[in-house]
Amino acid sequence: MINLNCKVETPKSLNEVITLLSHANSKTKILAGGTDLVVGKIQGSKRFIDTETLIDINKIDELHKIEFIDGKIFIGAASTFSEIEENEIISKHLPILKKAVSTIGSLQIRNRATIAGNFVNNAPCADSVPALLVYDAELELMSANGTRNISLQKFLEAPYKTQLQRNEIVTKIIISTPNKNLKGDFYKLGRRRAVAISRITLALLCEIENNFIKDIKIASGAVTPIGKRFYELENFAKEKKIEKELLINLSQKIGEEILNITGLRWSSAYKLPVVQQMFYQLLNNIMINKNENKI
Amino acid sequence: MAKEFSVIGKSIIREDAFEKVSGKAKFADDYKYDGMLFAKMIRINSTHAKINSIDFSDIENEKDILIVTSKDVQGKNVVGLIKHDQPIFCDEKIVTPGDVVAMLVGDDEEKLNALIKKVKVDFTPLPTLTDATKALDKDAILIHPELKSNLIIHHPLRKGDVEKGFAESDEILEQTYTTQLIEHAYIEPECVIAIPKEDGIKIIGSIQNPFTARRIVSLATNLPLEKIEVIQAQLGGSFGGKDDIMCILSSRAAVASLISKRPVKIKYTREESILESYKRHPYILNYKVGYTKDGKIKAMKIDILADAGAYCSMSPFVTWRTVVQATGPYEIENVHTDVRAVYTNNPYTGAMRGFGSPQPIFAQESIMDEIAVRVGLTPDEIRRINGFKNGSITATGQKLQNHDVNLITVLNKAVSLTNFTNKWKEYNKEKPILNNYEFEKPILEKNKFIEPKKLLQKGIGLAVSFRGCSLGAEGLDETYCYMSIEKNGKVNMISGLAENGQGLRTTLVITAAETLGITPEKINYLETNTTLIKDSGPTVASRGTIMGTGSVQNAGEILKERLEKIVREKFQLDENDFVSFRENLVFSRRKGLLTNFDFVCQLAFEQKENLSAIGYYKSPKVDWNEHNGQGDAYFTYVYGCQIAEVTVNIGTGEVYLNKITAVHDPGTVINRLGALGQVFGGVTQGAGYGLFEEITQEDGMIRELNFDQYLIPTAKDVDEIKPFFVEGNDIYGGYGAKSLGEPTLELTAAAIANAIKNATGKRFFNLPINLEEIILGKKIRPQNLNRGSL
Repeated sequence: MINLNCKVETPKSLNEVITLLSHANSKTKILAGGTDLVVGKIQGSKRFIDTETLIDINKIDELHKIEFIDGKIFIGAASTFSEIEENEIISKHLPILKKAVSTIGSLQIRNRATIAGNFVNNAPCADSVPALLVYDAELELMSANGTRNISLQKFLEAPYKTQLQRNEIVTKIIISTPNKNLKGDFYKLGRRRAVAISRITLALLCEIENNFIKDIKIASGAVTPIGKRFYELENFAKEKKIEKELLINLSQKIGEEILNITGLRWSSAYKLPVVQQMFYQLLNNIMINKNENKI
Repeated sequence: MAKEFSVIGKSIIREDAFEKVSGKAKFADDYKYDGMLFAKMIRINSTHAKINSIDFSDIENEKDILIVTSKDVQGKNVVGLIKHDQPIFCDEKIVTPGDVVAMLVGDDEEKLNALIKKVKVDFTPLPTLTDATKALDKDAILIHPELKSNLIIHHPLRKGDVEKGFAESDEILEQTYTTQLIEHAYIEPECVIAIPKEDGIKIIGSIQNPFTARRIVSLATNLPLEKIEVIQAQLGGSFGGKDDIMCILSSRAAVASLISKRPVKIKYTREESILESYKRHPYILNYKVGYTKDGKIKAMKIDILADAGAYCSMSPFVTWRTVVQATGPYEIENVHTDVRAVYTNNPYTGAMRGFGSPQPIFAQESIMDEIAVRVGLTPDEIRRINGFKNGSITATGQKLQNHDVNLITVLNKAVSLTNFTNKWKEYNKEKPILNNYEFEKPILEKNKFIEPKKLLQKGIGLAVSFRGCSLGAEGLDETYCYMSIEKNGKVNMISGLAENGQGLRTTLVITAAETLGITPEKINYLETNTTLIKDSGPTVASRGTIMGTGSVQNAGEILKERLEKIVREKFQLDENDFVSFRENLVFSRRKGLLTNFDFVCQLAFEQKENLSAIGYYKSPKVDWNEHNGQGDAYFTYVYGCQIAEVTVNIGTGEVYLNKITAVHDPGTVINRLGALGQVFGGVTQGAGYGLFEEITQEDGMIRELNFDQYLIPTAKDVDEIKPFFVEGNDIYGGYGAKSLGEPTLELTAAAIANAIKNATGKRFFNLPINLEEIILGKKIRPQNLNRGSL
C-alpha cells in the first residue's frame, strides 16, 4: 500500500477544480494519471516531496473527451494514452500522435498516464511532445480568472518547467486538422523495444508537391533539454527539391542545431551522429521511399 | 532407446499455477502477525570507510524504537557461506556501499524511515579499490586486511604442455574479453520475518536455500540448528540470488526478534535490493589459442580474473566451475588455465544462474568463431572438428562416459533447424563498415550517411556448451524425499530441495506419479520446512531435477514394492507374472486389470503395511586435484547449442532478436511445459546479458538502482524462441533426467555476439553489446549520479 501523506481532493466537476485551484499554493498539485507524480514523490523528487494537497481530476469526464468540431480536434487534457491510441478521430487525423503515444511505457502506464501530464511534467524525453509540436498544438488553460490559449511550444519553458500557473489547469489540447495531403512519421529510439525511456524521438510532417518540399514541420525529443520545433531548418527546407544531397544537408543541419543548443555532453558522442543518421533515414522513408509509418 | 512413460514428458500445468495467477499465492510480505515490528537499515554514503562513532542521541528518547547493532548479535557477527568475511552489522568499517551499519526496529515503517535519517554516523573515508586488475598489486589497499591479501581463490589447471602445443600450431590467436556486473532482477525484492517461539525461532522468507539460512542464523544467534525453523514462502524469483543476502537478512531479523520477543519483518525496496544484494561476477578473460591450418585446436592458455567485490560469497565455487569448463566443449591436448577471484570495494558477487559459465562461454565461443574464419571453416565445421564425442577427454582429464555425449547431435540439430551454414555464408559476404564516429567531429561527413537499404543487416551466430550437472567436486551431493501414502490412495511427499519458482515441486510430483503409476493430482507436495525434512543441500547448480528426481524415484520404488507384494498375495499371482501400476490402475500381464491403486492402499492399511518411506539419492564419486586442476569434476554432463538470428540496425546499434533456436540435451524431459518455460526464461535472460543489462558504478556507487535504469528484456525484445530437446540417455538422475535451468541461459549472449559479427563484420569483445558499444566501440556513461527527473 502506498501512502503519499497528502490530502486528496476529488472534485466532481471542472468548476470545482477551478475553485480548489484558486486556493492552491506551491504545495498543491493536480493528480491525473500519477505516473510521474506518485513515483517522483516516493523517490523523494524535489518537485513533489513538499506536496501536501492533491487535486484528483480522474473523475471529471469532460477532461477525457476527444471531439472533432469544425475542422478542429479537441483532446481532453486528462485523456489517457490508451484512450488516444484507440480513438478513431486521432487515428484518422493525427496518425503521428497515435504512433507516438503507442510507444509510451507499457500498456499499464498508457492506461493511466495522460496527455497533458506528459507535457506538464515536461521531461526532455516526453514522447507525445514532438508529435504535438508538429501538429502545432494549442492548449486551453483555465483558472478562476478565465480561459487563455497558448501554443504548446510557448508553454514549454525548460526541463520540468512550464508556463502553467499555480491556479491554472490545462483543460484541452486543440489541433487544427491539416486540410492538406501531408505525410509524416514519428520515430523513437529506446534501449529496448518496450517500456523504454526515449534516447531520441523525431516527428516529421511534410507536404510534398512535384518532388518539392512545400511545407515541413520537424520536432525532436530527448536530444535537446526540452522537446522542440526546428523552425529555421523548416524554412531552409521549404521550396527545395527533394534529392539525396538535400536530405544529407538537412540531417547535418539538425545535428548542428542540436549541438548549438546542448554543446558536447557525455551522451553527444552517440546521440549526435545517430540523430543525424536516423533523421536522414526518416526523410528518405517519407520523401523518397514513400514508406509512411515505417522506419 | 525409446522411453515409454505415462506421465513423464507430458506438459503438466504447475501445481502452483492457479494460486499464482489468481493472486492467492502467499509471498513473504503477505505474512503478517499481531504485534509485528519492522526493521530499517542504516547505511552511509560511502564506498569504503572507517566508522568512528554512531550517534543515536536524536532518537534515544523515541518510544518503542529498538536500536540493533553488532553488539546485539549473540553469536558470530561475521559470517559467510564459504569464508566468514561478511559482517551482519558493520560497526567498525564498511567495504562497499550496500553495507549496513545498524538497524532500527519499530512498529511504524514510515516513522522508522524518518528516524534513520536522524542517526549520525561519523566516518572517515578510506581509499577505494574498484578496479579488479589492481587488486593484486603490491601496493593495493586491502579490503579485509586481516586476510593479508585480496586474492580469494586461485584455481590452476594444467594439462599437457601448452608451449609444446603452441610450437606445433600453425597460428596462434590471443584475445581479451570482458563481461559486466549484472543483477538477478528477481521481481520480488528481499523479504523475511523472524517469529520468536517459546524455545527458539521461526523464519519465514523469500529464501532460496532454507537449510543454508538456518545454518547462518544459528551462527548469528548461537541457537542450535533444531531450534531454528526455516519456512520458505513462495518465491518471486531468485536465479541464485536469494541465498547469502537472505541468510544475512534472516540473521538480522532473528537478532531483533529475539531481543524484542516480537515478530520482526525486513522488507527491501528495489533500491535497497540492488544496492546490497550480490550480483554476477564481472570477468576479464584472456584466451591464447594455438591451432593448425585445418582448424584443430592444439593448445589453449587461459587467464581469467573475476571481481568478487567486497565479500567472498560463492566465488571459490563459481570460479571452480569456470576452470572446469573454460575451454568449452572441445578436446584439447594442452591446456593451461588460471582463474582467480579477488576482493574489491565493488558490490559483492556470488551465485547467479549460470554460475561461472556465461563469462567463459562468451569468450571461448567468440574465439572459436574467429579461428574458424581464419582457417576458412564455418562455425559449425570447426566445432565438429574439436567438439566432444563419446569417450573424449576434457581439460580436467576426465573421460566422458556413461551418458550420451550429445554435443555434435545438438549442434547438427540446431544447424539443420535454422539452415545455419547457408545463412551464415550468405550474411558473411561483404559488409558495410560500421561507422567510426569522432567525438570532436560530431557532424557527420556526407559519406557517413547510410543508404536506407543497408541500414538493417542480418546475421546468424551459434554457441555450444557442455555443463557439469549438480555440485561436482564442490561438496557433498545427496538428497532426501519423504513419501507416505494414505489409506485412500492419496500421497504426501516432500523433498529437501526447494521450490524457487522454477517448478521443481511439479517435476518431483510427476516423477512420483510415474513411479507409483498414478496421476499427479493424487499427490500433495508439502511445504518446505527445515524441521520436517533432512537437509538435501542447496537448490542450486541445476541440481533440483537430477538429484531431486533420484530421491523421489527411490522413495516411490520402495513403496511400490510393498504395494506389489500385497497385490501378489491378494490376487494370488504367479511369481513369474508381472505387475504394473498405470494411471491409478493395477494390472498383471496374465490377468489384465486387477484393481485400482486406492483399493491396494486400503488393503495395505488394513494389513498394517508401512506405507511411508525415505528416498535417498547420492551422487557418484567425483574427484579433484586442486593443484593441477585434474580429476573427474562432475559425474555427468549436459550439452546445448543455441543459434541466434538477428538484425542489426547499423545506424543506431540496435540488435533485433528475430529468432533464437535452443537445442538442449537435458536428459529425460520430466515436465515438457516446465522445460519449455526454462528455455523461454533462460534465453530471454541471456539476451539481456548480451545486449543491455549492466550495473555500472562511479567509485563503487551504483547508478542503476531501479528498473527505470537497469533494463531487463521485455517480451517484445525477443521475437521468437524455438526450443528443441534431444533427450540423451543417462544412468544417473531419476529416469535419466539431468539439468536444464542454467544451460538455457549460458549460451545466448555468446550466440548473439557471433550473430552480430556475422551481421556487421565487426567483432565485439565487451559485454553488453549495447547501442554505444556497436556504434562507438565503447561504453559511455554520465559523469554524475544525479537524475534530471528528481
